[in-house]
Amino acid sequence: MFARRSLLAAPMLALPFGARDAHALDPRPSVASFSILADFLREIGGPLLAIESIVGPEADAHAFQPAPSDAQKLARARFVVLNGLGFEGWMPRLIRASGFRGREIVASRGVATITSKGHSHGHGHSHGHDEADPHIWQDPRRAITMVRNIADGLAAADREAAEAYRMGAQRYIAELQALDTWVEQQFASIPRARRRVVTSHDAFAYFGARYGIDFLSPQGISTRSEPSAQQIARLVQQLRRERIGAIFIEAGASPRVLEQVAAESGARIGGKLFSDALSVPDGPAPTYLAMIRHNTRMIVEALAG
Amino acid sequence: MLLDPLFGPFLEFAFMRRALVGCLALSLAAPPLGVFLVLRRLSLIGDALGHAILPGVALGATLGGLSLAAMSVGGIAAGLVIVLLAGLAARGTGLREDASLAGFYLVALALGVAIVSAGGTGVDLMDLLFGAVLGVDDGALLFMASVATLTLVALAVMWRPLVAETFDPGFLRHAGGGGAAWHLLFLALVVLNLVAAFHALGTLMAVGLMMLPATGARFWSGTVGGQVAAAVVTAMAASVAGLLVSFHADVPSGPAIVLAAGVLWAGGLLAGPQGSLLRRWISRPHLAA
Amino acid sequence: MSRAAAAITLANVTVAYDRHPAVHHVSGRFGPGSLTAIVGPNGAGKTSLVRAITGAARVEEGRIDRGGISTSDIAYLPQQAALDRSFPITCRDVVMMGHWRRVGLFRRIGGGLRNAVREALEAVGLGGFGDRPIASLSAGQFQRLLFARMLLEDCPVVVLDEPFTAIDAKTMADLLGVVSRWHSEGRTVIAVLHDHELVRAHFPETLLLAREAIAWGRTEAVLTPANALRARRMAEAWAEHPGACARAA
Repeated sequence: MFARRSLLAAPMLALPFGARDAHALDPRPSVASFSILADFLREIGGPLLAIESIVGPEADAHAFQPAPSDAQKLARARFVVLNGLGFEGWMPRLIRASGFRGREIVASRGVATITSKGHSHGHGHSHGHDEADPHIWQDPRRAITMVRNIADGLAAADREAAEAYRMGAQRYIAELQALDTWVEQQFASIPRARRRVVTSHDAFAYFGARYGIDFLSPQGISTRSEPSAQQIARLVQQLRRERIGAIFIEAGASPRVLEQVAAESGARIGGKLFSDALSVPDGPAPTYLAMIRHNTRMIVEALAG
Repeated sequence: MLLDPLFGPFLEFAFMRRALVGCLALSLAAPPLGVFLVLRRLSLIGDALGHAILPGVALGATLGGLSLAAMSVGGIAAGLVIVLLAGLAARGTGLREDASLAGFYLVALALGVAIVSAGGTGVDLMDLLFGAVLGVDDGALLFMASVATLTLVALAVMWRPLVAETFDPGFLRHAGGGGAAWHLLFLALVVLNLVAAFHALGTLMAVGLMMLPATGARFWSGTVGGQVAAAVVTAMAASVAGLLVSFHADVPSGPAIVLAAGVLWAGGLLAGPQGSLLRRWISRPHLAA
Repeated sequence: MSRAAAAITLANVTVAYDRHPAVHHVSGRFGPGSLTAIVGPNGAGKTSLVRAITGAARVEEGRIDRGGISTSDIAYLPQQAALDRSFPITCRDVVMMGHWRRVGLFRRIGGGLRNAVREALEAVGLGGFGDRPIASLSAGQFQRLLFARMLLEDCPVVVLDEPFTAIDAKTMADLLGVVSRWHSEGRTVIAVLHDHELVRAHFPETLLLAREAIAWGRTEAVLTPANALRARRMAEAWAEHPGACARAA
């Protein structure tokens, strides 16, 4: 992937710069708050940027505790990209503490938001009622806006490479549009009434809104190690009553307990969904595109069966 | 209806019915073994065995993949080897049985940890093997029911020598009754039941239902047979009560059942017909002879 | 009586613990149907000798000839058995254990056996105690119970190790009656005892042991002051660091 992008970008870079001094082509140190934004940066800036992510793959940005090394990353950086909307509550203080003097780019600027339902995530934090749900990247169309914001921000602060950023963003946006169409097609075969799933993580509101899928919270079950019979009964009742097709639950209840729930309610147990972070490089969701495709496949498989 | 809170949960939900069947199977086979364990002063063996089977589980996982069958077989094999070695060591030397078991189980646990670390799967094997009462599936139920049946039949057959060997091992050994063999066979049954119960219902429930009703049985009866019956009934009552409390009062089920067994245990201690506190405090007229 | 009485012959028997001889080159014979007491000072090896006879201890050197019967045909009451007297078992079930050699694992317990148990309990003075838990018995009653079990064992040889320690006189008298019943039935009876008066009164033969056999034969010939002196001298001579035995094979 990188090689391909460098090959595309290199001749374009050569155009505006020609025989300019090599410094102009040094990778700009950049920091993304979490892995998905880091992926956007890679797609937009390619070899122009030396990108570091503060919250890495498969890590939880909600409950993240920054370390001194993160402050050092910021101190060196020329740009920092964050999501905003309260997703990285720890970021403002980290930026101040690091002495960062570069350009702060907020990816969610101007993105239409959905009001959060106000459920707790069980990580030790919760969205309050009537606040905006920050997980906007789950909708590829909104992701396109985020990519534009990032490219504009980079271009404004780094005029030498502005053209390259804009072209990188354009190319990537085309891919995102293709992705959006593909996801829509995947769900087309499933009747709207069947598109109801339960997930333990409240992160898919935007995905659900875009493609007409109801994401519901599991009633009763928490991330406690052993559930009570009452919790299981409530969950089974909910799944039956709401005619839920699939259930995606990560931590907490043991897998065998979930199998009992599934057997009794007729819902299927789905695979792992990635919401707030990409997977590790050899996992199923190492890039944003792969993540959306993977989640789509998981949900479609579970609902179709 | 008054009976709705009692029967409703079981009528309405299959997972409740399964959990109940699993608990009842365990309640039939484990408490009798527990009574003998108490009489032989091996009450803590359940915990020790829970750790001692780790190397077997790890080897089973290494050789047979993360299949529950392979891990169960490995766990059973490890448990049997350890009780056998511990028993032989105790009989062959002056080492006491509980000290012998302690030695072997600690070595086994350390070995297990080493094997798991070397394998580097990073997966908590015991978490995979140990179940939860609300997650009992058909395979685990079948395993439990088979083991329970085998145990009851075996106990019926070896009842006489088991009681004799527990009470006076020297006599049976001398009279040609093969004392050590019965003891090892008994411990093999304990291992089998524990592994089956760990797999179906988890460690807390397995050891809890095996030992709690057994330790309290002495307050209900003065004969071994009576204590076994009392322990079985207590375990069954605790299972039903615990599941209902878990359902109506939102308490995790494993702990609810064991706590129910604890309440019954305390009840026996306070007011049971044999040697309870109440009996000691309230005096009745003595008999003529 | 189910079998013919057996003689027990000792040929140069040595029983050792950690190479120290507890019983040292003892030879002699317990005749068939004999009633013999084994006496001697503390540490004389009396318990070791009876353990060797019953097969519980290994014979280091020499041989024990049991006249064709096996060790499991010997009824053995060890010294102060460390039994759990609070074990939840009834008197009847304890006595019933005596029938193990005949009933074993599967044979049904029929009316005949129940009668035998009842008779045995009555013979030891515990008539009617069948259903009582053993926890309710005194020390003397418990010893009677163990004798009742031995009655059921119905063996040609009976070995008792200090059977009358710490029990009351009445119990002792009753149990001596059981011993004499065994003797009249022609069984070979061997008992380790401390009380020389009791031995003189009830035991026709005696083996005076001080690791070695000091004297063995009719009681009045064995329990003499001269023999007692020899036994005491033998006991005092047990050295701290002995060399290898010159008589060892």
